[in-house]
Amino acid sequence: MSITVRFFANFREATGVKEIKLPTAKNVGVLLNALVEKFGSKLAKEFYEPNTSRLRDWVFVLVNGRSIKLLKGLDTSLSDNDVVAIFPPVGGG
Amino acid sequence: MPSEFERYSRQMIIRGFGEAGQRKLKAAHVIVAGLGGLGSPTSMYLVAAGVGHLTIIDAQRVELNNLNRQVLHWHLDVKRSKVRSAIEKLQAMNPSVEIDAKLKKITPKNADGLLRGADVVVDGMDNYRTRYLLNEACVRAGRPFVHGAVEGFVGQLTTIVPGKGPCLRCIIPKEPPRKSVFPVLGTTAGVVGCLQAMETIKLLTGIGRPLVGRILFFDGESANFEEIEVRRNPNCPVCGGV
Repeated sequence: MSITVRFFANFREATGVKEIKLPTAKNVGVLLNALVEKFGSKLAKEFYEPNTSRLRDWVFVLVNGRSIKLLKGLDTSLSDNDVVAIFPPVGGG
Repeated sequence: MPSEFERYSRQMIIRGFGEAGQRKLKAAHVIVAGLGGLGSPTSMYLVAAGVGHLTIIDAQRVELNNLNRQVLHWHLDVKRSKVRSAIEKLQAMNPSVEIDAKLKKITPKNADGLLRGADVVVDGMDNYRTRYLLNEACVRAGRPFVHGAVEGFVGQLTTIVPGKGPCLRCIIPKEPPRKSVFPVLGTTAGVVGCLQAMETIKLLTGIGRPLVGRILFFDGESANFEEIEVRRNPNCPVCGGV
């Protein structure tokens, strides 16, 4: 009964891992809190605006390949075996 | 065409490519939107591969700080328009390719018209505002769009085929924070631009499995490629109804 979380770029640097399996969380918000609990303030700084629970603009979360920005944001629910990817898109050319 | 066989002979002997693949490239019209770090290698490789008709679009002039990555533009081109600088080199590389240059900024008003007739559009932009315009115009026309972006040692790439996989808005619904000056190594743009040309050639010839429904991340620091599966989002404001 777990979900897989894949980290990219700065999120991988902050966690030191490419991928982790965690017990299934109720929704994305709960999952991100669990990740912060596990990996500490370095990851919290990458996720949240200072002293808020608002996600930074560069945090893009996909649940099974779909952006939570077009689902229910942090309230997007999770189920067993879901794959969550957390990445910062780049924009230069 | 037979006189061109010698030029393309090394790719025509690739299994599954042959004369048929080469003729498909020759019959194709590709638009490269933006002639910077991505558009430079993409357009060079498409011209070298024998795409029959290339349209290049860019409204900017060459600046000295472009030259670490925008390999179509050389020292003496600084202050010249990018399309003029580019068309000279591209036409010299392969005179048999028809190349149109458009010194235009892409806007919501002109996007549909600028992209008309293209078999594939390649993203050579450095900002999401214009990428979203291209994405929307391509979704409206059912036209493939090859997205690429870079920063530092990192690049991302995905191929959008409307109706078959997610569009750019499905994957990146909102513009990420924009840096007025973004750091980038020329070789990062080279890798991603080259892969965009590869995706374009695959789409045109029907060879291989295009990067549809997947976004590829390249990290030059660890010399690593990884992909994430991406899916169409029924709530997507751009392609949700397609």
